[in-house]
Amino acid sequence: MEKTLRLKAKELLESGEVKVVIGYGWNRSKTRTTPVFITDPADVDTLVWNPLCVNNLSLYLTRKYKEIKALGRPAIVAKGCDIRNIVVLITEGQFKREDVFIIGMTCNGTVYKQDLWKGELTPNIMPTKCHNCDVRNPHVTDFVVGEKSTFTPPEVPTGMVYDKVKDLDSKSQSERWAFWVKEFSRCVKCYACRQVCPLCYCERCITEKNMPQWIETSAHPRGNLSWNLTRAMHLVGRCTFCGECERSCPVNIPLNLINQKMIGVVKEAFDFKSGYDEKTHPPMIVFSPDDKENFIK
Amino acid sequence: MPRIGVFVCQCGNNIAATVDTKKVAEEMGKLPGVVYTCDYKFMCSSPGQEMLRQAIKENKLDGIIVSACSPHMHEKTFRKAAEGAGLNPYQCEITNIREQCSWVHHDKTKAAGTVKSIDLTRMTIQRLKKNQPLKKIKIPVKKKAMVIGGGIAGIQAALDIAEGGREVILVEKEPSIGGNMARLSETFPTMDCSQCILTPKMVEAELNENITLYTYSEVEKVDGYIGNFTVTVRRKSKYVDEERCTGCGECIEKCPFKVDSQFELGLNKRKVIYTPFPQSVPNVPVIDAPNCTKIQKDKCGACAIVCGPKCIDFKMEDKLVTEEVGAIVVATGYQNMPNERFGEYGYGRIKDVISGMQFERLASSSGPTGGEIRRPSDGKIPQSVVFIQCVGSRDEKKGVSYCSKICCMYTAKHTKLYSHKVHGGQSYVFYMDIRSGGKRYEEFVRGAIEHEGAMYLRGRVSRVYEKNGKIMVQGADTLSGNQVEIEADMVVLATAVVSRDGADTLAQRLGIGYDKYKFYNEYHPKLKPVETVTAGIYLAGTCMGPMDIPESVAQGSAAASKVLALFSADEMAREPITSVVNRTTCNACWDCVTACPYTAIEREAIKDRQGNVVRWVAKVNDGVCQGCGVCVAACRSKSIDLKGYTDEQVFAAINAF
Amino acid sequence: MSGHTEHSAPTGGYEPKIMAFVCNWCTYAGADLAGTSRMEYRPNVRIIKLPCTGRIDPLFIIKAFENGADGVLVSGCHPGDCHYTTGNYHARRRWIGFKHLMEFAGIDMRRLHFSWVSASEAIKWVDLINKVTDEIKALGPFMEYKGLKATEAEQG
Repeated sequence: MEKTLRLKAKELLESGEVKVVIGYGWNRSKTRTTPVFITDPADVDTLVWNPLCVNNLSLYLTRKYKEIKALGRPAIVAKGCDIRNIVVLITEGQFKREDVFIIGMTCNGTVYKQDLWKGELTPNIMPTKCHNCDVRNPHVTDFVVGEKSTFTPPEVPTGMVYDKVKDLDSKSQSERWAFWVKEFSRCVKCYACRQVCPLCYCERCITEKNMPQWIETSAHPRGNLSWNLTRAMHLVGRCTFCGECERSCPVNIPLNLINQKMIGVVKEAFDFKSGYDEKTHPPMIVFSPDDKENFIK
Repeated sequence: MPRIGVFVCQCGNNIAATVDTKKVAEEMGKLPGVVYTCDYKFMCSSPGQEMLRQAIKENKLDGIIVSACSPHMHEKTFRKAAEGAGLNPYQCEITNIREQCSWVHHDKTKAAGTVKSIDLTRMTIQRLKKNQPLKKIKIPVKKKAMVIGGGIAGIQAALDIAEGGREVILVEKEPSIGGNMARLSETFPTMDCSQCILTPKMVEAELNENITLYTYSEVEKVDGYIGNFTVTVRRKSKYVDEERCTGCGECIEKCPFKVDSQFELGLNKRKVIYTPFPQSVPNVPVIDAPNCTKIQKDKCGACAIVCGPKCIDFKMEDKLVTEEVGAIVVATGYQNMPNERFGEYGYGRIKDVISGMQFERLASSSGPTGGEIRRPSDGKIPQSVVFIQCVGSRDEKKGVSYCSKICCMYTAKHTKLYSHKVHGGQSYVFYMDIRSGGKRYEEFVRGAIEHEGAMYLRGRVSRVYEKNGKIMVQGADTLSGNQVEIEADMVVLATAVVSRDGADTLAQRLGIGYDKYKFYNEYHPKLKPVETVTAGIYLAGTCMGPMDIPESVAQGSAAASKVLALFSADEMAREPITSVVNRTTCNACWDCVTACPYTAIEREAIKDRQGNVVRWVAKVNDGVCQGCGVCVAACRSKSIDLKGYTDEQVFAAINAF
Repeated sequence: MSGHTEHSAPTGGYEPKIMAFVCNWCTYAGADLAGTSRMEYRPNVRIIKLPCTGRIDPLFIIKAFENGADGVLVSGCHPGDCHYTTGNYHARRRWIGFKHLMEFAGIDMRRLHFSWVSASEAIKWVDLINKVTDEIKALGPFMEYKGLKATEAEQG
């Protein structure tokens, strides 16, 4: 696969069809993959593809990375799950479909954290999303690398995150409160979750707006709660469960739980899954007169 | 430091009975920025307002709070008074301590009411500190209107606007104005002939200098907002030069080809070059291009040969014209539910099962039979006719749930016309209920039953079939409890009134709402019956739902009066409660554009000096924005805010809680 | 800047602080009607008027709790009645998301109420306020949220 990938990258750069290829490369000690931005066709052998390619590189297509945008039309090496984020970005007008060349990678799963890698991809080191993946064959592409995957996800999603959501749902309200207060109390407001999220692309994050300052900036329990609730609310109907926020959190706040919970709510209430169709607006900015609820009295 | 004045109203005893207004004023005086407080018996009285103006001037106040009754009551009064003292009116805020405090908390010790009044006033003070002076929005108004649809409602609207001295463009899809009414024979309940009362109005519309007729034309695109719409109209090629055509009719005479006439609903033929009916306005024929051998195969051309003024041009093409108008009246009318939907009543299978509208044509003296009731199959005069009401109406399963409103009346009219024209003929009417609300309507129906011998049977028809050259109609007479079978020569179906094909497309172009039946939504079903949610666009007639001629005409006039009122001033002043975009932080995600109920938000390109697009941002059109604030809550980066209800104002109020 | 007046009842018992975000056209008018009809209800609610429920950002609700609200009520026009035609439909969508989020975060949903009150439903408004107030009064102060103390001076 790497060979095909490199050849394609070379071809794209040489023809001038793209100006930069955003992909994965090795770190110096070849223990982890890291994003690489290749502009010279001579450098395409830097590109690698393996189960350590866990990062969601669609982040680098957002307005947060103006210097990459300035390079010119990009090609991006993307797994199906990453492509879901690209689709959301297109829906939200961040760029047009034709503005990016998508090299879709057929994927058999990635490791949840790169340090878990022992040379073999075993189910226990894969994140929940990979066990339930329905885009192992990437769904929106300009070019596909890899053999077609025959994997079919289980009908009822399974895995640790789903189990934990269910577990929390079954707990009492005060137990949930205690759980989250404890989890959020560790938050240091480093905003790594925001930095790494391809959908947190605001020119100015609400936390940086000070007239008025809706979200208290210092890391205390009250401000932490409002930040995390707001972050989750801003992702409702948009989050694709890529898991980058939780993976990057230095204090291991289980953000996947909150994201997956809301993904379930959106599926149940609006029958919507983000990142599949660029023409459908995320559910929080549209409505149906027939929306069902039972809590508005 | 702001200089705020707080005026607490006692409202006689209405507030003072359960609120210690003096204490409220005193407490507010302790807040930073509050430099003047008072409590007074009646703030809204003349002396009260004068006191307010004096206090503003003497204390150089830059903002005032009136803690009094509901802002719905006197906000305008106090803002005007403040303006009189030189203050920006939007620097005056009301705290509601009457309707939502003194009148609902009856504690005579005044404890609860006073505490609440203090809280509410404090919240308003903190909010006021974040107020920005606002200016009313002035919008220039283009004093020319467009009426879409040249039926009776549209004609009436156009005539009234024109007589009010304003220019109107009347756009009609068909080659002639007149609409459905032009097809009718006589009209209930007075039995005047439809053509006799309609034709003069059509001619008037043609001759009125303020009216420009665009027939055979359709609206393609609508941009802009109240006072300033730009409408693109497709003027379909008539292949006849309207300016030069004298309407002599030679071309029609000479045309060798005939096809079914849509106007006659297939009961008669027309030529390929045609006017829909003899009294057409304008009296200019059009060529039916798909059926014209000259246009299709370059054969014939007889019409061009006989045309004296040489106004036939087979190469003529559609033209797109752009019109700038200040207001639009939509009067696109209705159509009948296609009869094909009613196979169980024999339509399509039995030739002499026709629709009510087809019966109108048979009864019309300018119709295919010259006004004699003759059945389509063999031209014989039917000796018995069965009328079936509610065909598709009030029938959610096969048709529509609503009542089509006019069928009870026109069916009664049909029985009368039939009995006048066919002596000795017997009519039967199957009905569900008779709905004859309206001036002289009930008497009209009673007349048909009691004096004209129409046999009314309450019940549904279950089966219609042919037997020995007769149409057998089986049904229930629920009043006698019997099954009945009637031998008829002809059956007339009162098919449901439905919205026009393409009604939804036009609504989307105009940015107006429609219901599940694609009838257009009025702004308010009772109090704003001819307005739409899009300011500057008005409705008239059956595009909103079934109605009869008098109602349609009344609505045409009502819409015209709205247009004339709008045109009475050069500028329109609007409340400045509109959204505004922070261009430096806008993400151009267009969530606001999607969420806006008024399509008031546009995409704006920011360009550098060379004219290259640097970035895109959202832009609010002040003329369209109604100030709901849906966009503000939708914006994640808080790059859009609502004047008068800004995040800062709301935040300050919550923080003062 | 904030200087809460403690809502002590004449009897001196605990009185909850409740914040209501209501739309201008329906619920605010409905509350006005309760006043003009001289109906009586509990004095614990402080209203903030907005043009439409569509203007209500979930942050308002969070901010109200942060400022010591023991309960929050959000109310607007019934579906189909919105003055701006669809603002309340947008609001309803957001509430569906927000309600589930708050529930999942462990907020006691007896402290957060959503309702439709039309301009003619003064009785509904009165019943709603009384019910919500009594329920929250029974729950006591929202100590869980109040317990999330800020370590530095409050924002203002």
